[in-house]
Amino acid sequence: MKLTLEKLRKTFPLDEGELVAIENIDLEVESGEFVCLLGPSGCGKTTVLRIIAGLDTPTAGSICLEGKSISGSGSDRGMVFQEFALFPWRTVRKNVEFGMELKRVPKEERHRISQKYIDLVGLDGFENAHPYELSGGMKQRVGIARALANEPEVLLMDEPFGALDAQTRNLMQKELLRIWQETKKTVIFVTHSVDEACFLADRIVIMSARPSTVSEIYEIRWPRPRDRASVEFANLRKQILAKLERMVRIEDDGTQR
Amino acid sequence: MDVKGSGKKKERASIFSQWPFNKFGNEEKWQQLFKTLVITIISLVAFLITWWGLSELADTDYLPDPETVFRSFIDTFQIRDPLTGRNMWDNIMASLTRVMWGFALAFATAVPLGLAMGFSKNADDFSKPVVEVFRPIPPIAWAPIMILALGVLLGPIVLVFIGVFFPLLSNVIFGVRSIDPILSDAARTLGAKRSHLFLKVILPSTIPYIMTGIRIGLGIGWMCIVAAEFIAATGGGVGQYIVFKAEVGRYDQVYAGLVVIAILGLLTTELSGYIERRVSKRMGML
Repeated sequence: MKLTLEKLRKTFPLDEGELVAIENIDLEVESGEFVCLLGPSGCGKTTVLRIIAGLDTPTAGSICLEGKSISGSGSDRGMVFQEFALFPWRTVRKNVEFGMELKRVPKEERHRISQKYIDLVGLDGFENAHPYELSGGMKQRVGIARALANEPEVLLMDEPFGALDAQTRNLMQKELLRIWQETKKTVIFVTHSVDEACFLADRIVIMSARPSTVSEIYEIRWPRPRDRASVEFANLRKQILAKLERMVRIEDDGTQR
Repeated sequence: MDVKGSGKKKERASIFSQWPFNKFGNEEKWQQLFKTLVITIISLVAFLITWWGLSELADTDYLPDPETVFRSFIDTFQIRDPLTGRNMWDNIMASLTRVMWGFALAFATAVPLGLAMGFSKNADDFSKPVVEVFRPIPPIAWAPIMILALGVLLGPIVLVFIGVFFPLLSNVIFGVRSIDPILSDAARTLGAKRSHLFLKVILPSTIPYIMTGIRIGLGIGWMCIVAAEFIAATGGGVGQYIVFKAEVGRYDQVYAGLVVIAILGLLTTELSGYIERRVSKRMGML
């Protein structure tokens, strides 16, 4: 489903005046598209994602899903967190079934659907494990399965692989692409890794530092799986890195934190 | 899909390396346990020798030697008191029953109130002034008036209630407030409303804190019941036993009563501590 952000603005009150975190963000995300939000740390990418999820409210502007304005959190937008945010007292299966439990899906159907997504993320055999028994990569597989099992229109991912080691991270990126291609979900993925964005995204939305706004959008039409060692990959990465570096330098010169 | 396969295998292996029993070798673990055991025995023996030495030096009825106390301890369980017709088992049951009633009352009130105070700011603002006024009063200070007003049956139970109530309440409130906000966020993105958050996120994640409150509360409950039985001297009880024996000058039996209290307190704390750890582990919150 098509997701539209219109003139999104978010400010936080300060002792004097206000802090403008996000200024006039306009963005259209097509159904089934994989979009990465990329920007320097503290640029408000996570805030944008939280607003889309309905966890934060925008000061102004609106979010539309297929033309319909939405406010507050809802099961039409699933979210995957950097900190995994699994319920520690629930097993893998019970975590995945959480959203369906709230919707009072009958037990047998719940079981069938949770099994489908547990299999999809490659966790079959771990249904009855608790999160503390799992490694970081496996925890995030649960996080993804839990979000997907709720059958959201849009999957929001907030630096989901940020807490993983480099090897697991690369593996999870490949896994995510496979899952995305199988489920055809719309994905909005926040990251500060240029490499990750280049590897995953259909479009990379570069966001500037505070006040955050859309600075540039790169469209990547290469087929997947992409080759990190290819010349074109290296060139794009270099180009984006240079742009980010310029942005950070301007911020350092111009403003104080 | 060979990439996926190999990755899974690697992660499966990492689970087992996290199991606690693999942290150090079995042999090392036994050695450590043995060492702890030896030191514990040395400590207890040193304590008994000191006790014995002091009682020899002091040479007074107020401090009988360990052997005399041990004999009296055994006897109190076997021989019924000629005046009251009770042995130590009866006294323990009497005290235990009071503790359990007081505890049940405290549990039934402190847990719901704590959940409400932790969850809703209005409930907190409403209850806090009253709670904060009563909290600093030592529960034992209530003993004289409670026993006069409520009688020897209900008075001691209410004292235990007061003793258990506040530590349990504090722990429940603390538990609700310690919840990682990201868990609430996750629940909300899965479609949770406020009532869902309460039942499916706050309640389960507070359970380990409730268990901690129970352990601390029971410890205080035992102290309260002994004090209450000093005053409400009817119907049996370990506290009452100690008062009676002190009055008739059987100091060896007074000490036997103290040993009983020590053992009961230790057992209660250890048992609730064990349950607490089991529950925390079961809930995945180590």
